[in-house]
Amino acid sequence: MNDREFCEHLDIEVKVLRIWVEQRWLMPQEAEAGWLFEDADLARARLIQDLTGPMGVNDDGVDVAMRLLDQVHSLRGRLSVLMNAIRSQEPAVQRLILSSTEED
Amino acid sequence: MTSPYETLGVSRDATQKDIQSAYRKLAKKLHPDLNPGDKGAEDRFKSVSAAYALLGDEDKRGKYDRGEIDETGAETPPRHYYRDYAQSGDTGGRYESAHGFSDFAEGDDIFSSFFSRRAGGQQRQRGRDAHFSMEIGFLDAANGTKTQINLPGGGPALDLTIPPGTRDGQTLRLRGKGEAGFNGAPAGDALIDIRVRPHPLFSADGDDVRYEVPISLSEAVLGGKIRVPTIDGAVNVTIPPHSNTGKTLRLKGKGLHKTGGGHGDAYVSLKIVLPQAPDPALSAFVEGWAAGKAEDPRKGMGG
Repeated sequence: MNDREFCEHLDIEVKVLRIWVEQRWLMPQEAEAGWLFEDADLARARLIQDLTGPMGVNDDGVDVAMRLLDQVHSLRGRLSVLMNAIRSQEPAVQRLILSSTEED
Repeated sequence: MTSPYETLGVSRDATQKDIQSAYRKLAKKLHPDLNPGDKGAEDRFKSVSAAYALLGDEDKRGKYDRGEIDETGAETPPRHYYRDYAQSGDTGGRYESAHGFSDFAEGDDIFSSFFSRRAGGQQRQRGRDAHFSMEIGFLDAANGTKTQINLPGGGPALDLTIPPGTRDGQTLRLRGKGEAGFNGAPAGDALIDIRVRPHPLFSADGDDVRYEVPISLSEAVLGGKIRVPTIDGAVNVTIPPHSNTGKTLRLKGKGLHKTGGGHGDAYVSLKIVLPQAPDPALSAFVEGWAAGKAEDPRKGMGG
């Protein structure tokens, strides 16, 4: 969707959207006709609205929260790749890996 | 069914403010996007949000208290949280942050490459932001200007627009002027920390500007129109008769640009100055001015 449709979904002004993109809280794809947003961006924008609205987080707080959240998701992504890799090993290898995580 | 009061953990006679702060506390704890791996968080957040939708609205709360509506209210359509997209990789890697765990990639064992996505060679990665700092004059910051900046490491000078109302410590961003991206991903940004040099006359105080303006003895005693400098040029200001040193005039809208639009104010503090050279007529007048000698401006200061 373009920026106008995106703003309509969220009931926000384009001015607000520009700030969010400027802050890199949202990174739409840049096409010739302007920004292009996906459903993931919409969900992300709703999170920003939750943070700034009912939760009372200020702009600096949103900045921190989004950065940390992106790190959490990146880590979770790598972790799930790792888990799948381990699960595809022979049971003996899996047990070996598990037992070495249990040592302190 | 649990009452919305129980869900939020507040009593029936709680104020709207209590309800809001109870909700804030719970929302911060339970929001699904702040608990990416906790499946139960969504249900708990939903019931807390529904309770708040009812009690947070004084109108609806009254209706509920009077038994006119029940605790379910209107059903909200199911919502897709950001975590659902982030988890399934539907963001195309746009929001991924590889620097967050680069420390895992430092070793030289075979697994170090697992966390350094460069080793994979497939993923796109936005270039890093490059940080610089720059000093500008007070009036350039206040009124805005266009300048050029030479980034260390060569390359052509970049045009930099200083927006009006730029503050000391503010960071300006030049999009795409940071380090190059990886595998066709966009370049990072150049972030320029702005230092504002102090001005001999004006000093910033939040959105306002404060400074001192000298006035002559006759202007102080008789009042009148004087020219007063402001950050965007001099203006005529009328000072009332008998204006003492320390009297502060407020020039509305003559302060700094505010971020959300509008301007702060200028606070001009008057300071009486005697003529440069002693004036015999003035001395003779004060000599014969009995009331001036009787007055003690230091009365009550002790000693």
